[in-house]
Amino acid sequence: MASSSSSSSEGEGRRAWVPLASRPEFAGVTPLPQDDGPSPVVAIAYRDDFRETMDYFRSLYSSRELSPRSLLLTSLAISVNPANYTVWHFRRQVLEALGADLTEELEFTEGVAKRNAKNYQLWHHRRWVAEKLGPDAASRELEFTRKIFCLDAKNYHAWSHRQWVLQALGGWEDELDYCAQLLKEDVFNHSAWNQRYFVITKSPSLGGLNAMRDSEVDYAIEAIHANPENESPWRYLRGLYNDENEAWLNDSRVHSACLHVLKAKRNFKFALSTLLDLLGLGFKPNQEIKDAITSLRTSDSGEAGSDSDLANSVCSILGREDPMRANYWTWRSSKLPQAAEV
Amino acid sequence: MEDDRDRGLLYDSDPSSPSLSPPRPFALTFFDRERHVKFLEMMYHMLPRPYQSQEINHLTLAYFVISGLDILDALDRVHKDAVADWVLSFQAHPRSKADLDNGQFYGFHGSRSSQFPSKDNAIFTPNGSHLASTYSALAILKIVGYNLSNIDSESMLTSMRNLQQSDGSFMPIHIGAERDLRFLYCAAAICFMLNNWNGMDREKAKEYILNCQSYDGGFGLSPGSESHGGAAYCAIASLRLMGFIGDDCLSNASAPSSKANIRSLLDWSLQYGGFAKSPGVLPDLYHSYYGLAAFSILGEAGLKPLCLELGVTEAAATGL
Repeated sequence: MASSSSSSSEGEGRRAWVPLASRPEFAGVTPLPQDDGPSPVVAIAYRDDFRETMDYFRSLYSSRELSPRSLLLTSLAISVNPANYTVWHFRRQVLEALGADLTEELEFTEGVAKRNAKNYQLWHHRRWVAEKLGPDAASRELEFTRKIFCLDAKNYHAWSHRQWVLQALGGWEDELDYCAQLLKEDVFNHSAWNQRYFVITKSPSLGGLNAMRDSEVDYAIEAIHANPENESPWRYLRGLYNDENEAWLNDSRVHSACLHVLKAKRNFKFALSTLLDLLGLGFKPNQEIKDAITSLRTSDSGEAGSDSDLANSVCSILGREDPMRANYWTWRSSKLPQAAEV
Repeated sequence: MEDDRDRGLLYDSDPSSPSLSPPRPFALTFFDRERHVKFLEMMYHMLPRPYQSQEINHLTLAYFVISGLDILDALDRVHKDAVADWVLSFQAHPRSKADLDNGQFYGFHGSRSSQFPSKDNAIFTPNGSHLASTYSALAILKIVGYNLSNIDSESMLTSMRNLQQSDGSFMPIHIGAERDLRFLYCAAAICFMLNNWNGMDREKAKEYILNCQSYDGGFGLSPGSESHGGAAYCAIASLRLMGFIGDDCLSNASAPSSKANIRSLLDWSLQYGGFAKSPGVLPDLYHSYYGLAAFSILGEAGLKPLCLELGVTEAAATGL
């Protein structure tokens, strides 16, 4: 009896393997052996169940049999060869020909995901199913990715899928809250920061980046103050002002946040690099900021004179504080505009 | 449990025997080239059973082995003509010029399991050729010194346009699959190696790449996705291959940083050679290949320099 349920493919684990040649449902199928071609190199030591499954798959695929037993065979082939896109494609053709219940198919994919949630073919297949099911599938898809994130908060495939679901099927209403919840659990979760940016820029119900910018600046700065060593909110803050350099320069909250971190004299790498970027765009720091930078220098080379001296100071402090990127800070220093002679 | 059985099968020992425990990394003070060569040579002759689940990427596994041996300057362990013949046997050929209008891609299959015998006069001629496999195939052929002008590149490139989407991205296979920066990179590398840009619209491709740049400056695999190291490589390498980035965009690459933690890289070398994903785990081809590539970039003596954009040695890239 053909079934697309995950328990069927799970139950066909190698420990319980019954050769296909002995199974009545495959009677009459002539397995097609693999032709390894001339002088095979990098040969693979196939196990017998793998070889037999693929021989049967080759046979049914070549003869275009779109039947329940073909569906079962794709389940078996997927369990030994889950990245094989030809098998997945054939499965889709069979599902269409049989007019199969696609909500059952969602369960099948969940079974496969339990074994490996980082399989490209699985996620493509899931997207295909969800697209066929339409907007009604949105909440189930969001819930599915939510479950994946509980096990692995950074599963790249799941995030791509979630973004696709939102854009193709909808479900934006709770997404900003979901991002806030994830960040409450782990404020260092860069995937959640990325998703937040995605939501504020793309959600049809929030008004877009310009409308959201002000409150998001406050949100990012709050995270910065709590953990100034967290790169994510610094990047997020900068990202809020992409292509808006003037506005970024003039938002006093930004350089105030930098100053606040500098004065604490700990975890100030990102505060300094943000100031460096600001200086590069023509930012005129006040005396308080200049003093804060100067006090972080270890060598006593007098007052910071021009802003370009200040920028050079920042680069050399960063070279000291961020030694993994010492070459990078040296290079940044070399790219600074030379100060005009006074 | 399944993974333990697979580990036990790595060297064909009895799967139920617990005798082969995961190796412990030990402290090496030098790069043991011969050990890495032996590891890859072993893979060249036979990939252990656990690789069967990666069978669909057979050509890519071969690329890791052969390019790895090339980086180690050990291509003499490889029978180059046999390799070329084997790779060429994966090529998909249109039956006639009319086939080039059928929307399919005529490149290279990645494995025998996506390649089906075509019967004469058959209505259904399965064609599972794939962009990533095509990249791997051409890279291998270049490495073993095969003259790429012997390949029917016109059909390949003409049909490759069928895979480019309206937003500039590439699907890897005409039957439908995910599309992201990885396949755009493959397309660019293919055109570059064949020295023929008829296979893609470079301007549209550049547009897609730029749309993949994240708010934080990095690149995601698709627009809106989180910045990712692999995506950054695909983006920059593609722009460079397509001619959108010149030599002068950044200062020349600096000498290997004295701050790089070579010591811990050496520590990852295991008694079998190769590299593993993390300490205490058996080596695999993927991490071995990129470990060797990393050591090449760091200037390790005895390793050939890499052509970074193409993912092969410079010697292979320039055909010298």
